[in-house]
Amino acid sequence: MSTTTLSYSPENRTAGSEWAVETHGLTKRFGATVAVNGVELLIPRGCAFGYLGPNGAGKTTLIRVLLGLTHADAGTMSLLGYAVPKHRDKALARVGAIVDEPRFHGHLTGRQNLLLLAAAREPAARGRIDPALERVGILHRADDRVSKYSMGMRQRLGVAACLLGDPQLLILDEPMNGLDPAGMHEMRDMILSLVAEGRTVVLSSHLLDEVERTCDAVAIVDRGNVIRQGPISELLAGASLVVHVECSEPDRARALLEATNIGAQVDVGMEGLGITLPTGTSRDVIAEINRVLVQGGISVYRLQEIQASLEAWFLQVTSRLGAPE
Amino acid sequence: MTTISDVGASTPAPVPSAAAVGGPNDRRGSWIPTWSMITTRFMELRRRRGLMIALMLVTIGIPFVFLLVRLLLHAFAPHSYGPAGGYDIFQGLVAGVLYVFGFIMAATLGCTAGSIDLTEGMFRHLVVTGRSRLALYLARIPAGFAIIGSLIAAGFAIVCLVCVFAAPTTINYDGANVPAGLSLSAFETWAGSHVNEVFCDFPYNGPTPANIPCGNGPGGGPGGVVVKGPPGSVAPAPQTAAQLKTQAIQFARQDYSDYNKIFLYPSTSLMVKTGLWIELEALVGFMVGLGLASLIGQRTVAVILMIVLEIVLTPIFSRAHIPHLINLQRGVVGLAVAHLQPAGLGFVFGGGGGGPNGNQGTMRLIPETHTVAVCVIVGWLVVWSVLGAWRMMTRDA
Repeated sequence: MSTTTLSYSPENRTAGSEWAVETHGLTKRFGATVAVNGVELLIPRGCAFGYLGPNGAGKTTLIRVLLGLTHADAGTMSLLGYAVPKHRDKALARVGAIVDEPRFHGHLTGRQNLLLLAAAREPAARGRIDPALERVGILHRADDRVSKYSMGMRQRLGVAACLLGDPQLLILDEPMNGLDPAGMHEMRDMILSLVAEGRTVVLSSHLLDEVERTCDAVAIVDRGNVIRQGPISELLAGASLVVHVECSEPDRARALLEATNIGAQVDVGMEGLGITLPTGTSRDVIAEINRVLVQGGISVYRLQEIQASLEAWFLQVTSRLGAPE
Repeated sequence: MTTISDVGASTPAPVPSAAAVGGPNDRRGSWIPTWSMITTRFMELRRRRGLMIALMLVTIGIPFVFLLVRLLLHAFAPHSYGPAGGYDIFQGLVAGVLYVFGFIMAATLGCTAGSIDLTEGMFRHLVVTGRSRLALYLARIPAGFAIIGSLIAAGFAIVCLVCVFAAPTTINYDGANVPAGLSLSAFETWAGSHVNEVFCDFPYNGPTPANIPCGNGPGGGPGGVVVKGPPGSVAPAPQTAAQLKTQAIQFARQDYSDYNKIFLYPSTSLMVKTGLWIELEALVGFMVGLGLASLIGQRTVAVILMIVLEIVLTPIFSRAHIPHLINLQRGVVGLAVAHLQPAGLGFVFGGGGGGPNGNQGTMRLIPETHTVAVCVIVGWLVVWSVLGAWRMMTRDA
């Protein structure tokens, strides 16, 4: 288990805790491959939580373990305060989930597929079919066979299936797959509206921009390990500070900056200097950079702090680009 | 060190209590499927158009078309074509079509029910509901059997109706048309007045008169001379008409027990027993197919295995006496079901074992008591159901 930046209190381990999802040392192996490696994850209730990772990082496997679709090899977990798998039925009663690509019986209509799923839930679920279809925007196609649905419509039907149980926790694995830009926008709005209703939404995705727009907090998983987790704003606050400078004599400017004790990494590019400052650097250093350049006789045309994005931070912390775990 | 416990604008939802989850009627942890689960599963299977057409064609279509053609032929050319129904037709359709093909169709439906959620990706959705996987498995049994059971019942009802209401008025006894339901004395009287038919067609163990013109009928010998009984037992000719009549009555007396087992149409008792018996065969096919497909997780291989079991392995193991495998042979479910076939019904695996002595066919089977047969059937149902349910409960979704 590598670095986890989440605080953890022993009292949170009790049943009925504030966590929607809670895992401790969760491990899942496929032969010699460790798909989920001692994951410690705490997802608070009532937020949109992004679960991020590159392809093959173990995102879907963790979700499958949480939902009881496959067994864990080690560790404990709970959903909505219920230990899983011991109280799996009670835990899943208020959980809705899409795992991988949502697939349904193609010979049935969307409504009939939901009938089949509602029958496996509590009696009241049947009455939620039409509202769920309406909410995801496919009520007008509810009586068409699913084999005629587009990928985006199947995604929506998958979300409708999640809503049948009036879930407190929704786990959506790549819900934006197959959606056009308008569909993604609608999906984002719907997720936000679900969160506004007090539900917890866990969003597994590699679409970092979407996650950044939708989620309050994220966990980054790579090679089965959760390597960072926390609120996006706090995580990004810990990212490196990047300053872009357009100036005359870039090479001399670089030499000037490297001679200082700022500790910056300076790269000369086609459009000027790219200055990467260590994590935790004060913004006063930006003014210091300007001062050094001007005093060195360099004409500064533009100086801009590059806003740290989730994508940049993600690439920085994941090992896919060789960064340390 | 950071914390995310304050994330989210809204107040955290209350932790659900056990009573609140799903309401008081929510027993999703129970292994007993709900009525709603069964009816929706029935709906899912029933809406498989291709499968339903195939099931209906075999279980209803084949008997229906066969009988319709016979009805039409008899209606338009009654002298050339016999009545559509009758006891023989009943035996042929039950043993030749509904029994064997009913099993295969039931197995196909069972294999579909057992694997299709998995292959079409719905299994995962169903597991995520929190419903007991055993309940998900068990819901398929009444749903699937309601389909195949009702289709076979419909096909069987058509066969029964036609065989009863379009039955012949005379019995064909070894090639001779004889009135049905005669008492011994009436049978003897009839024989006395139909000497030629009796001598030419009736089986007889003893000396027979010569010079009876039989043509090339079933009892006809070379040159139209009747030759029956042990070699050299031909009675001296000629005989008077009275002698021939007396001897014909002897023939009839000897053959009456066989004649008495032939009916114009099946009795109500036989039809009920036969109906239950082919439903049992369908139930076995469905349950074994369901368990097998659940176990291996796909339909095609399971269907092929079931067909091989029914039309290759079962006939071989039911009739070939393999000394060292005799107990293994007794464990074949098809043999066990065949042993429970109602008396008076022809042998189901071909070979012409039916006819006047309805039990001739079963006598050719590997011997097995009814108790053993019942145990074998129950064993197959339980073992395959347990295997299928176990795999469904442990399978990664």
